[in-house]
Amino acid sequence: MLKHLILIAVGAGLLACSSVTSITAHSDNKAVLDQGADSNSADSLISPYRVELEKEMLEVIAVAEKDFVKGRPVGALNNWAADAVLASQTRGVNLEIPAFSLLNVGGLRNTINAGDVKLEDIFKVMPFDNEVVWAEMPVEALDDIASYLIESGGEPIGGAILKDGKLQVDGMDSKTERVWIMTSDYLLNGGDHMDFFQKRLSTKHTNLLLRDLMIEEVKQQGTLLWNDENRIFL
Amino acid sequence: MMDRRKFIRNSVLVSGGLLMTPKIFGQSSLLLDEVKPKNKLTILHTNDTHSNIDPFPDNHAKYAGKGGVARRFEMIQKIRIEEENVLLLDAGDIFQGTPYFNKFGGVLEMKLMTELGYDVATMGNHDFDGGMEGFVKAQEYADFPFVCANYDFQNTPINGHTVGHTILKRGNIKVGIFGVGVELKGLVPDNKFGETVYSDPIEIATDKAAELQKKGCDLIICLSHLGYEYESDKISDRVLAQKTKGIHLIIGGHTHTFLDKPTEEKNLDGETVLINQVGWAGVQLGRIDFEFDKKVFSRKDVLIVE
Repeated sequence: MLKHLILIAVGAGLLACSSVTSITAHSDNKAVLDQGADSNSADSLISPYRVELEKEMLEVIAVAEKDFVKGRPVGALNNWAADAVLASQTRGVNLEIPAFSLLNVGGLRNTINAGDVKLEDIFKVMPFDNEVVWAEMPVEALDDIASYLIESGGEPIGGAILKDGKLQVDGMDSKTERVWIMTSDYLLNGGDHMDFFQKRLSTKHTNLLLRDLMIEEVKQQGTLLWNDENRIFL
Repeated sequence: MMDRRKFIRNSVLVSGGLLMTPKIFGQSSLLLDEVKPKNKLTILHTNDTHSNIDPFPDNHAKYAGKGGVARRFEMIQKIRIEEENVLLLDAGDIFQGTPYFNKFGGVLEMKLMTELGYDVATMGNHDFDGGMEGFVKAQEYADFPFVCANYDFQNTPINGHTVGHTILKRGNIKVGIFGVGVELKGLVPDNKFGETVYSDPIEIATDKAAELQKKGCDLIICLSHLGYEYESDKISDRVLAQKTKGIHLIIGGHTHTFLDKPTEEKNLDGETVLINQVGWAGVQLGRIDFEFDKKVFSRKDVLIVE
């Protein structure tokens, strides 16, 4: 137990004597561990919610015909996740400039195994509450991104390909000055040192969690779309 | 009544700057008359619990078997049996982090905090994640106040659902508690905090501490979701402690900082401010016991107590 002298506060003061309040503090932060006690009223409060949640988490929302594993330079899970973002964000939208999606290998936290895909599986792939955001980038920044991808050994991209040290975005031509990147707020804000996002010209928030987007896409696909093509040629 | 600050400054002069040095004199030599019996107040606190209702699984890499609201409740109940005067506080980010939030919108978190007997909480940035209507909806199940002094919610749905400060009495001890939150712009999507107006935490905390002092609070606590410290000069709990006066304890959050023991800072008056924070996810329960001793000292003996 730790003891701190914290302060001395002074009340009314007479000439000879003063009333003084001293405050002493002891601190004792403790880990919350199993206390070995029987269940309490908090348990009974939680229980029906837990049952309902587990029921929902175990709901089968799609089927995977193969294992979706992440990898470098590419993996089927990389492509699936990046394509899900691009498809969801561009569906029914008329874009004036080319767009591609960029995520990070580190952010995909689990594999999707062959067989039934449960809601809980997507929570395991994407436990973070990252928001899907759009970054409008000057075309020059693509060189920074290419260097980043070469150095990292590859990250999930959709709607673009890295070849001969250049990042080629679908629909881009010699007149292209700006591109959209659909990504997560984590990466946009410098996560995984993707500092090139600082060169962005504008940002668009979607208020959509990356996980919710994935859940939607999984449900829509029914059978997860398999694609293990290489998009990162180092 | 002599001005309080002046008196302390005077006493520093008399004591030759030894005011904060512990154990200069034996306590008994100073004691002339005991006015009031010793008063003890136990502060229990959490921060950034992030919807972690259940304990971490036994195979968890970092926090295996730790946390869990029901276990926290057991600890709290035990302490409540041992101690007479207990306050249970939370420094925000109650929401977001497990499917419990995604599925039930924070209702269970509020119900549980009420069941555990939380006295006061403040809002963290993630408590806006369900939107402002979402917060209000969940907060219906909370029977404790949210203190948010530097968010002006006047033109938002949250208006009227929070207070700037609250004063609680435990035994003979009057405790003033106010809350300060982090700047939401850039941290929370714009439409989730709407027209919430953020004010400088230092200014607000200065005013609040003075107000609570005036109202005769024996202890002034700031529930903060500013974060413990930053490499930049961004406002943090450490900066807040240094640049204000009158606050005795800052219970922090946001940076998920695990402190083994409270940090001691000196405020503008050179008085000690404690800062405590207990990581996140309800892995730890913070505890600080305060003992209040009101005594009459002879002036020339000055104010040194252990």
